[in-house]
Amino acid sequence: MSSETQKILTTDGIPLEVSLKKVERRNKFKAFLLVAPLLFFLLIVYISPIFGMLFNSVDDRMVTNALPKTYIAMEKWDGKELPSEEVFEAFYIDFQKLMDEERDGKLSTQLNYTKNGFKSIIKKLRRKSKSFEEGNYKEQIMSVHERWADVEYWRAIQRRAPAYSYSKYLKGVDMYENEDGKFVQVEEDRRIYKKLWVRTLKIAFYVTLFCFLMAYPIAHLLATLPMKYSNLLMICVLLPFWTSLLVRTASWMILLQQQGVVNDFLVWIGFVADDKRLEMMYNETGTYIAMTQILLPFMVLPLYSVMKTISPSLVRAGKSLGGTPFITFWKVYFPLTIPGIGAGSLLVFILAIGYYITPELVGGASGTLISNQIAYHMKYTLDWSFASAMGLMLLVGVLAVYWVYNKLVGIDNIKLG
Amino acid sequence: MRKLSKLLLTLVFALSISSTSYAVTVASWGGAYTESQKLGYGDPTAKKLGIPINWVDYSGGLSEVKAQKAAGKITWDIMDVFAMDTINGCDEGLFVKFNFDKDFPAAPDGTKASKDFFTSMPSDCAVGNILYSWTYAYHDAKIGSKKPKTIKDFFDTKTWPGKRGVYKSAMHNLEMALAASGTKPGKGGKKIYKQLSKEKGLKKAMDKMEALCKDPNGGCVFWSAGAKPPELLMQGEVVMATGWNGRFFNAEVGEGAPLKQVWDAQGLDYQYMVVVKGGPNESDAMKAIAEMTSTEGLAGSAKYIAYAPWRKSSLKIIEAGEPWYKDGKTNMMTQMPTHPNNTKSYILIDALFWADNGTEIGEKWEAMKSGL
Repeated sequence: MSSETQKILTTDGIPLEVSLKKVERRNKFKAFLLVAPLLFFLLIVYISPIFGMLFNSVDDRMVTNALPKTYIAMEKWDGKELPSEEVFEAFYIDFQKLMDEERDGKLSTQLNYTKNGFKSIIKKLRRKSKSFEEGNYKEQIMSVHERWADVEYWRAIQRRAPAYSYSKYLKGVDMYENEDGKFVQVEEDRRIYKKLWVRTLKIAFYVTLFCFLMAYPIAHLLATLPMKYSNLLMICVLLPFWTSLLVRTASWMILLQQQGVVNDFLVWIGFVADDKRLEMMYNETGTYIAMTQILLPFMVLPLYSVMKTISPSLVRAGKSLGGTPFITFWKVYFPLTIPGIGAGSLLVFILAIGYYITPELVGGASGTLISNQIAYHMKYTLDWSFASAMGLMLLVGVLAVYWVYNKLVGIDNIKLG
Repeated sequence: MRKLSKLLLTLVFALSISSTSYAVTVASWGGAYTESQKLGYGDPTAKKLGIPINWVDYSGGLSEVKAQKAAGKITWDIMDVFAMDTINGCDEGLFVKFNFDKDFPAAPDGTKASKDFFTSMPSDCAVGNILYSWTYAYHDAKIGSKKPKTIKDFFDTKTWPGKRGVYKSAMHNLEMALAASGTKPGKGGKKIYKQLSKEKGLKKAMDKMEALCKDPNGGCVFWSAGAKPPELLMQGEVVMATGWNGRFFNAEVGEGAPLKQVWDAQGLDYQYMVVVKGGPNESDAMKAIAEMTSTEGLAGSAKYIAYAPWRKSSLKIIEAGEPWYKDGKTNMMTQMPTHPNNTKSYILIDALFWADNGTEIGEKWEAMKSGL
């Protein structure tokens, strides 16, 4: 018998294997069609903005394209002394073109990010360059403003030559690349971002810790009390959760301010003197208090859902085997709640690390986080590429936390219920 | 089902007509200020031109309009902006460039618009709206018998212990600090900016602010919204606070709060209006902005808040119509930041200086703040 006849055929003569595959493919396609809307939705609103952000933070083509001749002329320049007449002439020609296209303003904004002081000298150059004579552009440009004769400003232009650059990421950790290609720190009185990163991590860590310490007993109560009481308690946990974030933050402001309810009460019971009221707002303390309360439900709910599934007989068994209440708790109950702790902590930490509005309102100077700086660059300096870079660094930070957690505890251990 | 969807379609259509292609939308700073704009020249303009004007609040900065442009759907027609933002926005190509004398009406006596306004504009995209001032104020009943009078007193934590409310960014704070540490402002504060553009002067100003904020008898509360300083003073959170004179005026005269302003070394600043390029209703916006910044229009807003109009001809109207304030008994001229009584020592906020140096000084300022 030949091998052909061995194959099982369907009624219309196609081998069964092929026919089955066809059906399977069709089913797969149908399944894909079912998830396709979600997939496209995620692609459009989630994945592509992240890539857009990544691209935005390294894209520096605007300056590169604005000064093509200058950068060609600059290739021969060593960056030590003022550049030669050639560079000045090329810059002048590029600048003329930019003025015709009304793009000189954009260039001044960009260069001003690299080195402050470009805005006004480019404005001045625009006015003066209309009456420039041919030849000897170096002298003429330098006579517009003393800063044009400062080699630092030409180095700043040179630094913007590559079409794609990672300089914004360096800036995010208070560093820059100098002429020799070395990474150096910025002047001491301008170092701000490293400090803020550390503070952000610190505040997020402590908020997580406080949330854990407060949520654990609450969740335990919720899980063990009879339905009648636990439902009431549950509502107490959920009610603030349903209230707007802004309302809750504003309420904290009313409570915590120096002439606020808490201080009034403390003065009334004689705990503090009237002229020495506690400062609980516009500083780190305010950030801790408000953020802990606001993020508390995110810790309580995963803990509760895990605790609910722990059978009370396990604890009883531990006790009957001779364990003291503490030992039973520590050896039996606590390990069983770890998946809940993990889920809750991860949730709270990740939310806290990117928190914006609460620190902005109650944080004052010492309680603001990196997200407030990102907002500042989005809103006021309009340096969106730098804001993107910091946003991405924040995202990488969150992923790193996730990775560490996965290594230490294992991500499959997480349980939300 | 079909009927319902038809109905919905018509509704959406009607809404889109009424909200986008018809009215002019103006973004401004909210509170007492927007109120004065709306009543002073917004409503009269809308009535005269038959173009409805919507007012929306924003908190300054160009990020929203830049984002609207990037998204391809600009929803604002006119914006009320700081001087620095007119420079940056014009450079970024966000705003319409004006042909000043053609786009804006002359004064009633025939003076060209460009001559009727006090000074020239910082950029081609800007038209002057009001002059306001950064002053500081205190709570008259809580301060004690000795009252602060000069800018130095703001930093005197021995005589007046307690916290100070200051603006969250470096702008105006550094000017104030230098003036308080003995630098004479000179004509319009030129000497202050000369000092600030040098490393030494900048450090001096920064140190002065740092000392105030670190002082155990002093300390700083940073504010960002204009309504906050009067609120902080009334709550007793701070003993003195810098702020915008119109907001203090509104609390003092409009709401009867016991606040007093100190005009010494006031930071005189201009506020501008711009037309967003490619806004939903650009041609109507041009008509509306011309009408709002006309002599009558600018004088109108001064009826509701103590900000000085930009046009010289508007001042004449106010002077002739005193008492000009809406309550019918308060004289406005003496409340204006431009009144001779208030301008004995003043600093004209230099927008170009801040456009130039804002980011670097901002970093130093934030670094200083984060060490508090």
